[in-house]
Amino acid sequence: MEHEDRQLTPKEQTAILKRLLGYALPHKKLLSVAFLFLMLGTAAELIGPLLIQTFIDDFLTPRNFPVDALTALATAYIVLHVSSVFFNYFQGYWFHKIALEIVRRMRIQVFSHVEHLGLSFFDRTATGGIISRLTNDTERVKELYVNVLSLLVQDLVFLVGIFIAMFYLNPQLAFFCLFLLPLVYALMYVYRKFSAKYYGTMSGKLSELNARLNESIQGMSIIQIFRQERRMRKEFSELNQEHHSAWMKGMKLDGLLLRPAVDFLSILALMLVLAFFGLLSFTSPVEIGVLYAFVNYLDRFFEPVNQIMSRLSIFQQAIVSAGRVFKLLDHEEPAPSKSLAGNPTIERGQVEFDGVTFSYDGETNVLTDISFSVSPGETLALVGHTGSGKSSIINLLMRFYEPDKGEIRIDGEPLGKFDDEELRTRLGLVLQDPFMFSGDVKSNIRMYNDKITDEEVYQAAQFVDANRFIKNLPGGYDHPVGERGGTFSSGERQLIAFARTMVMQPDILVLDEATANVDTETEEVIQRALEQMKEGRTTVAIAHRLSTIKNANRILVLHQGKIVEDGTHDNLLANGGLYYNMYLLQQGMNQQMISSSSS
Amino acid sequence: MRVFIDLWWFFKREKRSYLLGILMLILVSILSLAPPYVVGVVVDAIVEETLTLEILMGWLGLLFLIGIACYMLRYVWRIMIFGASIRLARLLRNWLYEHFTNMSASFYQRYKTGDLMAHATNDIRAVQQTAGAGVLTLVDSLTMGGFVIVTMAVTISWELTLISLIPMPFMALLTSYYGSLLHKRFRKAQAAFSSLNDKVQESVSGIRVTKTFGQEQEDIESFKEESDDVVKKNLRVARVDALFDPTISLIIGISYFLAIFFGAGYVINGTITLGELTSFTIYLGLLIWPLLAFGWLFNIVERGRASYGRISELLAEKADITDEEATQSEPPQGEIDVWINSYHYNSDDPPALRNIDFTVKRGETLGVAGRTGSGKTTLMKLLMREEEGVTGHVKMDSKPLQEYTLDALRASISYVPQDQFLFSATIADNIAFPKPEASMADIMKVAKMAHVHHDIIGFKEGYDTVVGERGVTLSGGQKQRIAIARALLLDPEILIFDDSLSAVDAQTEESILETLRTERDGKTTIITAHRLSAIKHADLILILADGDIAEQGDHQSLMKRRGWYSQMYKQQQLESYVEKGGGMDGTRG
Repeated sequence: MEHEDRQLTPKEQTAILKRLLGYALPHKKLLSVAFLFLMLGTAAELIGPLLIQTFIDDFLTPRNFPVDALTALATAYIVLHVSSVFFNYFQGYWFHKIALEIVRRMRIQVFSHVEHLGLSFFDRTATGGIISRLTNDTERVKELYVNVLSLLVQDLVFLVGIFIAMFYLNPQLAFFCLFLLPLVYALMYVYRKFSAKYYGTMSGKLSELNARLNESIQGMSIIQIFRQERRMRKEFSELNQEHHSAWMKGMKLDGLLLRPAVDFLSILALMLVLAFFGLLSFTSPVEIGVLYAFVNYLDRFFEPVNQIMSRLSIFQQAIVSAGRVFKLLDHEEPAPSKSLAGNPTIERGQVEFDGVTFSYDGETNVLTDISFSVSPGETLALVGHTGSGKSSIINLLMRFYEPDKGEIRIDGEPLGKFDDEELRTRLGLVLQDPFMFSGDVKSNIRMYNDKITDEEVYQAAQFVDANRFIKNLPGGYDHPVGERGGTFSSGERQLIAFARTMVMQPDILVLDEATANVDTETEEVIQRALEQMKEGRTTVAIAHRLSTIKNANRILVLHQGKIVEDGTHDNLLANGGLYYNMYLLQQGMNQQMISSSSS
Repeated sequence: MRVFIDLWWFFKREKRSYLLGILMLILVSILSLAPPYVVGVVVDAIVEETLTLEILMGWLGLLFLIGIACYMLRYVWRIMIFGASIRLARLLRNWLYEHFTNMSASFYQRYKTGDLMAHATNDIRAVQQTAGAGVLTLVDSLTMGGFVIVTMAVTISWELTLISLIPMPFMALLTSYYGSLLHKRFRKAQAAFSSLNDKVQESVSGIRVTKTFGQEQEDIESFKEESDDVVKKNLRVARVDALFDPTISLIIGISYFLAIFFGAGYVINGTITLGELTSFTIYLGLLIWPLLAFGWLFNIVERGRASYGRISELLAEKADITDEEATQSEPPQGEIDVWINSYHYNSDDPPALRNIDFTVKRGETLGVAGRTGSGKTTLMKLLMREEEGVTGHVKMDSKPLQEYTLDALRASISYVPQDQFLFSATIADNIAFPKPEASMADIMKVAKMAHVHHDIIGFKEGYDTVVGERGVTLSGGQKQRIAIARALLLDPEILIFDDSLSAVDAQTEESILETLRTERDGKTTIITAHRLSAIKHADLILILADGDIAEQGDHQSLMKRRGWYSQMYKQQQLESYVEKGGGMDGTRG
């Protein structure tokens, strides 16, 4: 997934290009019409000089001016010209449109693909990379379609058209003009070879430069407090210099091989035409109109050549980007889903882990032989260090990952039998980080689900006591939520996340309690809300709050992926084990503090 | 065109390049007039049957020489003019960077990173284009256009020239109009694309929530809407974009038609020859570029002017914290005396701090606690003179901070920020950031003091591990401890921890604090924290509430007061035991 700076082999490039072109297939119809218009437009444009040639050779040179024929010729010229304008406008627009449609389809395809990848993929892969595939890389592909491929088609048709017209006028000279093609090709070949290298370096340096700038702006206070301004400036200006040199190299290459070189070729072509007609005139009469038309055609020949060449560097980069996009598209790591026959529903909410062993990397087990069962309506508290395996239990229960060994059952049925829909609606997970989406408060509670009415949203908010603060917001439930819900306190975000879960009225509540400190008043509201939510529901909780732990029907103490203690609060106390020790310690602390503060 | 005056200083500075470049451009324009002329002469010679092999070869040889000369001149003017414009981009970029390093915190509150980046990328590009392509189009449209028109009028027929040129100004006008229309629509398309970017960002970051609620399909639907909008806005661009070529072709077509139609008349009545008519049409072809360039010029200049304006404005920003009143270049030693009657960020805002009065002797530790927004960070910023302007005073070694040069002041302060900012570089480079010449032994020593050494050697590449997007992702605690090591490297007179232990566990926190107590004996340390265990050993603890000191004293006296401090302290003790599960496996160690 990371950036690969290695060069693609020509074979890989061809494969990528082929696959890219495949995306044009569904647009066959419009593509054919656009192509037809392109041919018509090109033909109309290229017939113009032929008409002028006819005029010069048949009428002007012999000084013969029949009014009807001339009027017809003039009318034909104007009609052709206007129709070429008409055809060319539409074909240009349509090619552009097709290119945009293709990229849209590709984007949606990649996005859907990514959306359906398993959480394991997201846990492993840097977000920046995924986002870059979906946006920057597809944008490059768009550039390729809009600015390179569609122009390439247009230019090629135009070039072919010019040669057809030239062959029609004078096959012999047209044949000589073919010599231009290998020259143009050689120029392109050499240019492409070097420009790939130079422009690669240049854009690499530029993104380094921008990354450095961006980082410096963000870390400016650090740079200043540690008095490193001078050093950072020096480093930046060195990088700036490297970018400058690469840019100069690229510019020199452009100067050597692009427009100046093509212009030189056009002089050569002109010499060829003049030499041909000049030599011809020694032996036979020459049609000046034909000479005129040739000069005119060759003049037009070089504009498309210039155009194609100046786009070559885009081509190279876009192929690399497309390669990355396809790689992501080919990456198969589906989310675990229904794997067994049957279609059970969750009625009672009984949860059971039976000898579950699990590892993320296939090497170190994060859970070893975990077995427990939670009866309907009961609360199970998971307690332990960071890394003891609490979160993994929740990941497995939510079927974000699948266990290596053992079975997880809900209401006696293995997890693999349930539909995604059933699991996602009956199991309500409250995450530690209450992620907020941009939109409004209502949409953050409803989460796109249109079946949920406004009334239900209000009820859910009331149920978790979020109602009070939401009502005080300007606009209430329609109060806009900005990027990441930055305007809300973490406690408020949690309450909204609670409402989001409760609005679905899940049978089983899965809680990943936040460790972050919330101010005391909100904390009280949150505790009350949690009590309300747990009422009558099976609850599996990663517990940090003493109240959650104390009130649990059962507590599992995890250590290094194993259950080291298991029982109710009273039970564990009576057993005199670790939990008991911990509790004593806490009580002791309490006593000590009370006495120390009262003494 | 005013932007050319604004940039005059640069043209003067690059006089040689621009003069040479423009001279060559003019030469190229003159030489370009030759080929059509040659065609006309040869055509006439053919028609009049006066052409000989020598004459033909002579003309062809001339064409070849002109071709070679043009090739070289075109190459050189590019180096001259475009080369200079690239140097301008380099210069502006360096200036901006240098300027950024001189700006105070308030500057960064006023400008968003994204905007600053846009100035340093897009605006510089627009100015560079003005100094490059802008100069080219200006010179080319004037010289080439002028020469061609004069040649047509003088050597062939001024009447025919006038007639054929009638449609041409429309081309310049229309393409210029399309250009600005295109630019506007393009910006909207860009905005749609950046909104699509935000959507992707949010979807990928919030994927866990989306999956929890099984909302993938709905998320895809909303992405589709965004994509549709991008396509819609881009199609509006395409509609204008597709106009360019047909319009140019139409207008040139009309021009050719007029030239041939009326030109034929002149040929018949003998005013001009057939060869001259042929040359004339080729000259017409040569006019296309200068006219397009003229239309283009306006767009380049328009954008360049706006961009240069923005850059100049940015460069004109003054730092508000300066060395103006500084007399002391000796770093202070860490005796702090603060008396703040009130401090406002903006005069309209309620005070961020008020009635703050305390002193810290050299070698003492100050602890500051309080809820988010109570003023802790503001106080730290004032101590570092990242902000200033209190009524009252902030003194070190009995002298107001303004009397020290920033350099001197910063030499005695080291800081661990709240947001754990690290650079995309190796861990060693990050720790050695304040002192790039530090030895590996020093780096390891402070890493050990910050209790992050073991984490670091656990990475495959140890201290050479690259941090950030392109390297490993560090946990918040690891980042914090690396930032602590970085601050310790200077062994500063005053060390400031701004809630810098929040992501490390209680045990590590205790060890780090223990190390600090022994290693920083005799030096001043300031710690702000949510978790009170981090400041309980401090000589003086301030509890801030809404910018006021609510409680102050040492741990013992504050516990006795039974106020906010003692309440929070007890609560946090309990919570940390439960949270860690530490009590449960306490027996194992």
